[in-house]
Amino acid sequence: MHVAAESIRPAQAVATYPRRKQGLRLSTVALHAVLIFFCLVIILPLLWVVLMSVKPVTDAYSGKLLPSQLDLTHYGYALQRLPYIWRNFGNSIIVTFTTVIITSTCAVLAGYAIVHLRLPGKLLLVSLLVGTLYFPTRLVSIIGIFRIQASLGLINTLPGLILPYVTLNLALSILVMKGIFEQISPEILDAARIDGASSWRILWMVMLPLIANGLVVLLIINFVTAWGEFLLAYTLTNDQAMRTLPVALATAMGGFGEWVWPALAAVYVMAIAPGITAFAIAQRWYMKGLQEGALKF
Amino acid sequence: MASTALSPGVTYRSSRLHWLRDGINWLYVLPALFFFCMYMLYPIIEVVVIAFTDYKFLSDKPMQFVGLANFINALQDPLVHLGLWRALYFTLIFLPGVIFIPLFVAILVDRVSNPTLASLYRVILLIPAVIPGPMIFVLWRWMYDFEVGPINTILVNYLHLFTYRNAPQWLGNSPLTIPAIAFVEWWWGLGYHTMFFLAGLAAIPRELFEAARVDGANEWQMFWNVTLPRLRPIFVILVVLRFGTAMAVIDEYIIMGGFNRALPTYTWTVYMWHLAFNIGDWFQGYAAAIGWIGAAAMLIVVGFLFYVFRDRD
Repeated sequence: MHVAAESIRPAQAVATYPRRKQGLRLSTVALHAVLIFFCLVIILPLLWVVLMSVKPVTDAYSGKLLPSQLDLTHYGYALQRLPYIWRNFGNSIIVTFTTVIITSTCAVLAGYAIVHLRLPGKLLLVSLLVGTLYFPTRLVSIIGIFRIQASLGLINTLPGLILPYVTLNLALSILVMKGIFEQISPEILDAARIDGASSWRILWMVMLPLIANGLVVLLIINFVTAWGEFLLAYTLTNDQAMRTLPVALATAMGGFGEWVWPALAAVYVMAIAPGITAFAIAQRWYMKGLQEGALKF
Repeated sequence: MASTALSPGVTYRSSRLHWLRDGINWLYVLPALFFFCMYMLYPIIEVVVIAFTDYKFLSDKPMQFVGLANFINALQDPLVHLGLWRALYFTLIFLPGVIFIPLFVAILVDRVSNPTLASLYRVILLIPAVIPGPMIFVLWRWMYDFEVGPINTILVNYLHLFTYRNAPQWLGNSPLTIPAIAFVEWWWGLGYHTMFFLAGLAAIPRELFEAARVDGANEWQMFWNVTLPRLRPIFVILVVLRFGTAMAVIDEYIIMGGFNRALPTYTWTVYMWHLAFNIGDWFQGYAAAIGWIGAAAMLIVVGFLFYVFRDRD
């Protein structure tokens, strides 16, 4: 019995080996074909909007997908002629920058305390944070946020947007930081503590270099949320000059007037370019950060 | 900041001192806590209170306590019923695509052996994750545009399948609207959800597959008996989280549909916003009640889903 089984196995291996290798190659082709298909589905809409922004106006309205000639004037036109577009850009930059800094700082501090310090009531805090992920907080709280900002006189102001923006991603950011801090061994902390470092110094000198990749993930997540936030900005501002880019773009209807389609597309490309550029630059650290626990909570 | 209790080895004279010394660590949480209380907890509590009043933002009359009247009216409001059904319909189309397509793609990406190609695929798939949602909806509103949109352009001018008389209307009062918006969500979430599943796949010990292979399992059996059970926690979290987000979707409906009650995009969330910030004297009391009814309906289903997916070991 024993002998028989052993004598069969090598024979089987020899018999199946070539066929399996061939099958593998065919399946590899199919694998890449399917993945390239999905990549094309992702890229083509973005390519369309980029092409739209460099098309002559006549091409845009005659149903040609490829531009007959390169026309870069729409970018200049959009920035010079469209009303308030500079203000909208400026508002978005100020609001996003401030929100990202505040949210990330809050999340790093809280995540550090939750994972590496003794914190009475830690469990309650974490379950409260996780709970908010399952509750439509943004929607239910919007009437209340509007009332607060109205009573503080913050309607149509940038601080009026920044303050509620911080909470949009706060719970998620803290949980992401918690996942990242959990990857750091507490022994490193103990060693630093024995050397006499305070918890603040340990965070600053020991921890920050170790969480750099995770920090990239945190910054990108918060940038994306704040840069594109629509509902609160739409609710808390009604003055064209105080609106952010997403609201300006969402309320602009393409047509023949000043918002001619290629100009609209040019604004759009300028609006999504910073995020994609930042991602392209930080992509390596971002991927590492994701693997290091940003997705584990 | 003082050197605070870091080591488990330190003993305290009394438990009160222990609480006091560890309590100072809450200073680290304080900034987050401030924003959390001020712009999340407090507004939510305020909305609970308003829901029991006849509060209208633009009205000069002081708000009056009306008990459960708003909730009773909302539960009988046909627009609330319709809005909840519309949201549920969207969710049911949205959920399978946002779970199974990324699972499929993750399994494929996981099998790419060339490291350069594997990371290239990941990066391309993740591009939509760095474009903010509302920007994505703006882009797809243009994609679906009846005349200028490239989808109809291809169908009419390049493939000649339709003319501009009978080309499909993707958005607006059309049966295609909700599937079209669900597709946008699939497109947007593909890369991010694929990363979730890839993280789960990477956490499965390779020995499990080797053991299964030695036992004579084929690829399909390995997927069914080794991969899927190991991905279960990610699966559950994604289903429950995405169910919640899908039921409470609002930006895409406002951007792609607007405020027309006849449209399938006019769900309970849009109705709530419309009542609170646009209609009449801004009926925020009534809108608050609708918000809570929608949120409660969601939470009941979320609880049910957790019950269904509970560990039965």
